[in-house]
Amino acid sequence: MSAILELQGVSMSFGGLRAVDSLSFTVGENEIVSIIGPNGSGKTTTFNLISGLYEPDSGDILLKDESVAGLRPDLVHDKGISRTFQSLRLFTNMSVLENVLVGMHSVTSAGTIASMLRLPSVRREEKAMYDKAQEILGMFPGRFSGPRQHQPAYSLSYANRRRLEIARALASDPVLLLLDEPVAGMNPAESHEVMEQIKMLRDTGYTILMIEHDMHVVEGVSDRVIAMDHGVKIAEGTYDRVANDPQVVEAYLGKRAANATA
Amino acid sequence: MGATQTTPVREASRSGLQDVLARVPRWAWWTISIAIAAGFPLLNLAGVVETAWLRVGVVSLIFVLLSLGLNIVMGETGLLNLGYIAFFAFGSYTTALLSSPKFEIRWPFLAVVVVSTLVAMVAGFLISLPTLRLRGDYLAIVTLAFGEIVRLTIINLVPLTNGPNGVTGIYSPRLFADAKPALEGVQAWFIIDKPIEYYYLVLVCVIVLAVLLTNLKNSRVGRAWNALREDELAAISSGITAVRAKMLSVVLSAGIAGFAGALFAYYSNVISPESFLFMQSVIVVCMVVLGGMGSIPGVILGAIVLQALPQLIREAAGAARSDFEVYRMLIYGILIVVMVIFRPEGLLPDKIFRREAHEVDPRELEMTRQSLFDLEEGQKDLEV
Repeated sequence: MSAILELQGVSMSFGGLRAVDSLSFTVGENEIVSIIGPNGSGKTTTFNLISGLYEPDSGDILLKDESVAGLRPDLVHDKGISRTFQSLRLFTNMSVLENVLVGMHSVTSAGTIASMLRLPSVRREEKAMYDKAQEILGMFPGRFSGPRQHQPAYSLSYANRRRLEIARALASDPVLLLLDEPVAGMNPAESHEVMEQIKMLRDTGYTILMIEHDMHVVEGVSDRVIAMDHGVKIAEGTYDRVANDPQVVEAYLGKRAANATA
Repeated sequence: MGATQTTPVREASRSGLQDVLARVPRWAWWTISIAIAAGFPLLNLAGVVETAWLRVGVVSLIFVLLSLGLNIVMGETGLLNLGYIAFFAFGSYTTALLSSPKFEIRWPFLAVVVVSTLVAMVAGFLISLPTLRLRGDYLAIVTLAFGEIVRLTIINLVPLTNGPNGVTGIYSPRLFADAKPALEGVQAWFIIDKPIEYYYLVLVCVIVLAVLLTNLKNSRVGRAWNALREDELAAISSGITAVRAKMLSVVLSAGIAGFAGALFAYYSNVISPESFLFMQSVIVVCMVVLGGMGSIPGVILGAIVLQALPQLIREAAGAARSDFEVYRMLIYGILIVVMVIFRPEGLLPDKIFRREAHEVDPRELEMTRQSLFDLEEGQKDLEV
C-alpha cells in the first residue's frame, strides 16, 4: 500500500506551547485513518498544518511524495487535499448548489472574459459542473433533492450543514479528504448514517483522514487509529489496540483509570 | 396538505398585488424596463418632457454604470470602497487630456475610452496591492484616504489638470481622429453631441454591462467572489486564490468606473475636482445599498432613484428654491436610515440576501418545518 500522505517529524508551536510535537504518520491509499485525543491535543492543528492554514516550524508533509508543507491553502487544495471544518464554515448566503460548485473551483478553469460572454466552453463547463454537483448531492439521498438545492445554506438543519460541507469537499475529487469531526452534534441515527457514507466513500476509492470524538464512529469506520495527547502521538494501530493502550486511557481518564485497566 | 396549512402565513405577509407581481417572469421585467428607458427620449422629441430631464437621464445612466462597478467589490466580493469616485476621476481626466484643447490632442473616441478604462484599471491594481490584506473598517479608511489623495492631487497638479479650474472644452466624441475631407459626410454620423445621442449611447453601455455582469455573477468567477465574501478561510481552503480574486474584482470595478468617467467627461464638456468629492463616493455606496447589494437590477434602480430623485424634488419645490442642494444629503441620510430599518436588503434585493435580512419569512418558516421533519425522520430511524 503506497502512502498518500506522510508526515515527517512535523512540529508547530504557538509561543511557548508546542501544539504539535515531531508528529510522524502515514495514510495509505484508500485507507480511513482516525485521529483521536482529548481537547487541545493538537488534532485540529495537525489538520491546519496539512491543509496549509499553518506552516510547520519543522518537519515535512508529503502528499504522494511531494512536499506540501507551507504551501498556501488554495495551492494545497489544488494538489488534492480538501477538508471540512469542525466549526461549520459554509457559504451561508449562497445556495446549497452554489456551495458545491465553489468546491469545484480548483478543477475548473473558466476565465473572467469567457464567463462574461458566456462562451460555449463556459456553458459546457457549467453543465458538467452542474451534473457533477447532482451526482455528489445524490450521495446524500433525500437530503438535497430538488428545490432544496436552491435554498441558502443557512436554512439547512445542523446535520445537513455537515453533510453539505462534506459534499463541498468532495466536489474537487480530492486525493485526500480531511474530515474534522464529521458527526459532531448529530444524533445517533444521523451519525450512523454518516458513518455508512464514509465507508461508502472509501469503497468508491477515497482516502480519508478524520478527527472524531464519537468512538462508535471511530470503531466503525477506521482502518487505523492514531491517538494524540499534548501534540504527541501516543498510540497507533487498530481501534482495539489503541483503545486499550494504557497511555490512551490515561490521557482520557487519568492515571488511576489507566492503572485499573492495566 | 402542507401547502394549505401555510396559506395564512403567506397572506399575512404578502398582499395580492405582490403575489401578482411575483408571477411576472424575469425576462418580462427586463423587456419592460428597457422599453421604458428607450422610450423616454421619445417623450422629449414629442415635446412632452423638457430636455433638462433628458440630461438628468444621461447622468443617471452614467451613475448606473458606476454603481454596477461598485457592486462588484461591495456586493459580490464584500469589500467596502469609500474612495470609488477616484477611479471615475482617473477615467474623466484621462479623457479630458486626450480629447481637449488643453494639449491640443483629439484622439478617436474608442481609443480614448479604452485608454481611460485601462488607466483606471492600473490605478485599481496599484491601490489593491497594499490594501487587499486589510478588511472591514481598515479597508474603508484606506480607500477613503485614497479617494481624497487623488482629489487633492488633481487640485494641486495644475500643469496637468488646471487645478480647481478643471479642464474645459472637451471635444465631442468622434470615431476617427482627423477626418479626411472625403469622410466629412460619413463622419457627421459618428459625432455625438446632443443629449439624446448621449442618452442612447450610455443606455446601450448600461444594457451590455448589465448582461456581462449577470453572466459573470453566475459563473465560477462570481461564485469565487461570493465565497470570499461569505467566509474567506473556507474559500481559500476550497482552492480560491484570495488575493487574485479580490484584485480582479477591484481592477474590474475600477475599469468600469474609468469607462463611466470617460463618458461623463465627454458628456459634460468640462470637468473639475468638484465632481469627485468624497460625498460622490458615498452617494454611489448609497445607490448600491439602496438598490440591494449584489443585485444587478436593484443597483440599477438604486442609482436611477438616487440620481433622479433630487431633480424631482427640486422640480416639485419650484425653480425658485435653488438652495435645494443643501438638503440633498439630508434627504439621502434619512432615506438610508429608513431603508436600513425597514428594508435592509434593498429595493430589489438578490434573492438570497432577501431571505436573510428578515428574520421571519414564510419561506423560512417552511424550511424550519422541513428541518423539524428531518429531525422526526431521524427519530424514526432511531426507533427502527
